[in-house]
Amino acid sequence: MIPSLQKDLEATFKGVEVTVVEDSRMSVLAPRDSIPVVLRYLKESGLDHLALLSCVDWIKEGKFEVVYVLTCYMRNDTDYTSDQRLHVLLKTEIPREKPALKSVIDIFENAEPYEREIHELYGVHFDGHPRLIPLLLERDYEIPPFRKDFDTRKYVEETFGSIPPVEG
Amino acid sequence: MAKSGSERELELYFGPQHLGMVGNFGITLKVEGDRVLKATANPGYLHRGFEKLMEYRTWIQNFPMVCRINVVEPDSMEMIYAMAVEKLAGIEVPERAHYIRSIFLELARVSSHLFGLWAYSNMLGFDTPAHWAMYHRDLVLDLFEELTGGRVYHIYLWPGGVRRDFPKGFKDRIVSTLHSIGGCVPDYDATFFNNRLFYERARGVGKLSQEQAKALGATGQVLRATGTKYDIRKVEPYAAYDKVDWDVPTREEGDAYSRIWVIRDEMIESVHMIFKLLDAMPEGEVYNRIPNPFKWKIPPGEAYVRCESSRGELGLYLVSDGGDKPYRAHFRTPSYPHGLTILEKVLEGASIADVGNTMISLYVVAPEIDR
Repeated sequence: MIPSLQKDLEATFKGVEVTVVEDSRMSVLAPRDSIPVVLRYLKESGLDHLALLSCVDWIKEGKFEVVYVLTCYMRNDTDYTSDQRLHVLLKTEIPREKPALKSVIDIFENAEPYEREIHELYGVHFDGHPRLIPLLLERDYEIPPFRKDFDTRKYVEETFGSIPPVEG
Repeated sequence: MAKSGSERELELYFGPQHLGMVGNFGITLKVEGDRVLKATANPGYLHRGFEKLMEYRTWIQNFPMVCRINVVEPDSMEMIYAMAVEKLAGIEVPERAHYIRSIFLELARVSSHLFGLWAYSNMLGFDTPAHWAMYHRDLVLDLFEELTGGRVYHIYLWPGGVRRDFPKGFKDRIVSTLHSIGGCVPDYDATFFNNRLFYERARGVGKLSQEQAKALGATGQVLRATGTKYDIRKVEPYAAYDKVDWDVPTREEGDAYSRIWVIRDEMIESVHMIFKLLDAMPEGEVYNRIPNPFKWKIPPGEAYVRCESSRGELGLYLVSDGGDKPYRAHFRTPSYPHGLTILEKVLEGASIADVGNTMISLYVVAPEIDR
């Protein structure tokens, strides 16, 4: 499945880089605008399970890398072949300044909480998301807390390091 | 309780402090009479930022951290992290350690399912099987204590194998413990699984079709209860799961009743698997030496690994930048889609009395969502 999928992807989309990392893993780097179409294409080629949507902060290069991990659900009950093990890491790079991406909820419904989480922890905006409201955190932060320039220890020291004065 | 919209519409907070709620998790319900119009999951009460904290600790120091992500089943978390580190660093695991890992993880699955059975039967008011389940879980914890020194958190799995071999006579104690638990299956069946009350209470609750389940990212029992044999232990075998013959139990209906039955059958299958693994286990080393953990640097790269925890597909996306600490770790926990996307979906139109029922039958464990 991998060689044909690699050929198809490179033939169909411009600017898509495909690397076959090992037997069952493929890494696809796509430009930001073509993420929804590539994702839909991969879904139709059998990668119908969005396992994870993640984000990595490459602060030295000044970019975020948003990663869509796609795997396959089984076609039938005896099908435990190597094709089933295929997983694709679809990536896109976006600048750290005003990061924004298109939401993919219309393709994978379960992307909704992941996009909310990445918006909250990295400050990446997802266009078309129906409720980009906080998911996990309680407080407001100047820098979204999972970014590399957010210093957890300094924040803890400043916020919880001393006994607050008694209000009265 | 706050009034909003029409006169009969109410907003109701179900959890984090609620009798029907297991774990610190909230659901905001918009109800009219007894019907739920809209449910909004409200997680975050257990967010400890583990993934960020992991970036501050060395590869080995993270083990006490990862196992605390899922409180009721820490061993799959250790396994997934060990697998990811092994993949990034290219470490081999000896044959015997693969078998020990599988046996250990299946024991963990049994104990986690017994805990889940306690939560579910207790919530429905079946106190007797709930107490039995808690007692039987404790027997498994005794085994863990003997093997690892800890009852709940074990930190036993390690990159390159397991921390130590089975003590003398440990095999026999596993067998006798599992026999004494297995001997009570007819009692469990009579009081709980075949009980008409349970059937009436759980049938048709939180029903999902297979297409819906797949579209919403379901894995584990939630998906297997809709009739597909999707199990990572079969799809992408790790440890020694491809060395012995075993089956994936499924049901067709996709409701709470069938999910709990899948859990029951899976527990029994796990016990049989442990017996087979114990018979087939080879002699030999149980770990390969890893570099000095204080100076251990892992080459740059990324890995996505997955395993089947007792709740479904558990994944870990781990990135190394060539340093002595992870650059980024992100856990794909099974409760995340189950407790957020699916729960909100299936609660629409449910009755208030079924909210806790639905949530526990989806096997949601809150710390896993929040991380």
